[in-house]
Amino acid sequence: MRARDVFGYSFSAIKLRKLRAGLTTLGVVIGIAAIVALLSITTGLQNTITMQLETGLATDTLIVAPGGGIFDGGQGGGFGGGALGGADSGFRLLVNDTQTINSLSTDILTSIAVIQRSGYINSTEHERVTTIVGVDFAEYKNIYSTTFVSESGEIPDTPDNNTIVIGKRVNERQNGTVLFTAGEDVKIVWTNATARPPQNESYTAHVAAVLQEVGGFAFGGPSDRNIYIPISTAQEFFNTSECETIIVKLANSDQATIDAVSKKIVDEFAGEASVISSTAVLNLLGSVFSLIELFLVGIAAISLLVAGIGIMNIMIVSLIERTREIGILKALGMKSRTVLAIFLGESVIIGVIGAIIGIALGWVLANVVATVLSSGAITVGPGGGAGDGGLLSITPVLTPLVFLGAFGFGVGVSVIFALYPAWRASKLKPVEALRYE
Amino acid sequence: MAPIVEAVNLKKTYMLGKIPVEALRGVNLKVESGDFLAVLGPSGSGKSTLLNLVGALDKPTAGTLLIDGVDVSTLSDNQLSNLRRRVGFVFQFFNLIPRFTAKDNVELSLSIAGISRAERKKRAEELLETVGLKDRINHKPAELSGGQQQRVAIARALANNPRFLLMDEPTGNIDSRTAREIMRLVKRLNEEKGVTIIMVTHDQHLAREAKRTVQMFDGVITSDIVNGERT
Repeated sequence: MRARDVFGYSFSAIKLRKLRAGLTTLGVVIGIAAIVALLSITTGLQNTITMQLETGLATDTLIVAPGGGIFDGGQGGGFGGGALGGADSGFRLLVNDTQTINSLSTDILTSIAVIQRSGYINSTEHERVTTIVGVDFAEYKNIYSTTFVSESGEIPDTPDNNTIVIGKRVNERQNGTVLFTAGEDVKIVWTNATARPPQNESYTAHVAAVLQEVGGFAFGGPSDRNIYIPISTAQEFFNTSECETIIVKLANSDQATIDAVSKKIVDEFAGEASVISSTAVLNLLGSVFSLIELFLVGIAAISLLVAGIGIMNIMIVSLIERTREIGILKALGMKSRTVLAIFLGESVIIGVIGAIIGIALGWVLANVVATVLSSGAITVGPGGGAGDGGLLSITPVLTPLVFLGAFGFGVGVSVIFALYPAWRASKLKPVEALRYE
Repeated sequence: MAPIVEAVNLKKTYMLGKIPVEALRGVNLKVESGDFLAVLGPSGSGKSTLLNLVGALDKPTAGTLLIDGVDVSTLSDNQLSNLRRRVGFVFQFFNLIPRFTAKDNVELSLSIAGISRAERKKRAEELLETVGLKDRINHKPAELSGGQQQRVAIARALANNPRFLLMDEPTGNIDSRTAREIMRLVKRLNEEKGVTIIMVTHDQHLAREAKRTVQMFDGVITSDIVNGERT
């Protein structure tokens, strides 16, 4: 029997039981759609976060933080913002540790201390929760020359004590309402929790500039959700000589330089401080996403396996119902392998249709989810004392590998689960099959 | 000329649970080209078992069965399938595929043999015309009478120019008037086209239409009468 005729016969058998075939196919559709949607979204999410991190991170910088690991968190708002914090060894970085770090290597061009606290910014009409960040404006501008840039006003190299620079999202609501303007006087407030009783500290600041939109995560670099004050003001206002992180600017972004300098810094602080580079962050992120992808695809694959069992069930029912028909076909001279091919053909048709519809549906689903995420219904961020979350503008990515993989998986599962019933059908003895009532 | 079918001490034993049932207990039979053989016998006499063996639907337990000089018991599953294409089977209950039209049912037999679509269509129409169903080719079995369905089954059986037609109670499920029409058709095929026919029946009247009558009882042939003379 010719291949086209085999498929024609398989198709005629499927057409006969449209509802049953439709429901069987639906199982494959759901499984494939789940896989495609999850993979497209996670790939898109990874791309978005990677891109945003790359925006926020300069590749020739290192970030030094207290603790054995960078995600151990600092004092109320490091990278992990304390949320990811682990055991506190009591070690603290000091603002003047920058001098020690600067002297460690000629590959270190400069280093700056960063002090962070959660707080508020008030005007007569508006109040916003924010993260107050104390930095050396001139050096910070030098390191983050593409992101610490003003949209309105001017960032002074030698700011007055009461000068502040506001991130774009602090200044603007999502609906576009502008809250503060350059040149305006505002009140900066933070709650000193170490005082007994805790008390609000405040001072009147002058908005020198509003930053351009950074769009990325504040992973060491400028953030749209922070306000910036001079480091000296921060020390005085927060009454501290400690800092949460020190950003180190290197002469180049070679891996060898990064490794050598990192080692020197860790050794200098006797392992009490950790150093992370943007490359390491991106690598770590890649690993985390691979695990997440594997986990999600695993869950989706289970639904496809359930669909496969559905296919097997339906095929066995079909085999029992069509026993006599198989007897007729064999009596007419059809070979066992052709009977096998007919049954497998039915599963291939179900698998192909299910996979194609599933991929299309998964893609639509991924775009719907991405639109919901991007519309602001859900915000995701890396933490930070003041909830330094940012909106995620995810563009789902359907790679050829995912497309072909999902297609192959859909068809493969259908065929594998049809093998047993197809084999049983092919092994039916014609004389017994013809006698079947 | 060598006989088309030659059975020598043919035996077939079925297992009914754990009990062996001897359906054939040593059948000797020769069928020549152009024969029209009626196999008579009561239920359980082994006539359908003999037909299934001759049609390569089953294998004998013992003895020799030669079809066109080839020993059936030595054939593989694939070779048996090939042999079945050279045999035309007509069943008591027609055994048509319900979702197919008359033409599709006839074409199915040709499709299994790997005949091209155009050739299949032409040949199916010719065969349905031969059995008097030219105006019913696009009707499904449910839209045809019992007699018409049996004609479709005969057309399907003839599709691959078989060496012989095997008919298992071909008129057992249709009324007597239609049965006579079917027998006229079968006889015409034998006389005009030289188709060899082996027909199982328990109807003595129908058996009289055959050139040769074989009587079976309890798994053996008890008489073999050719043109009214016992052999």
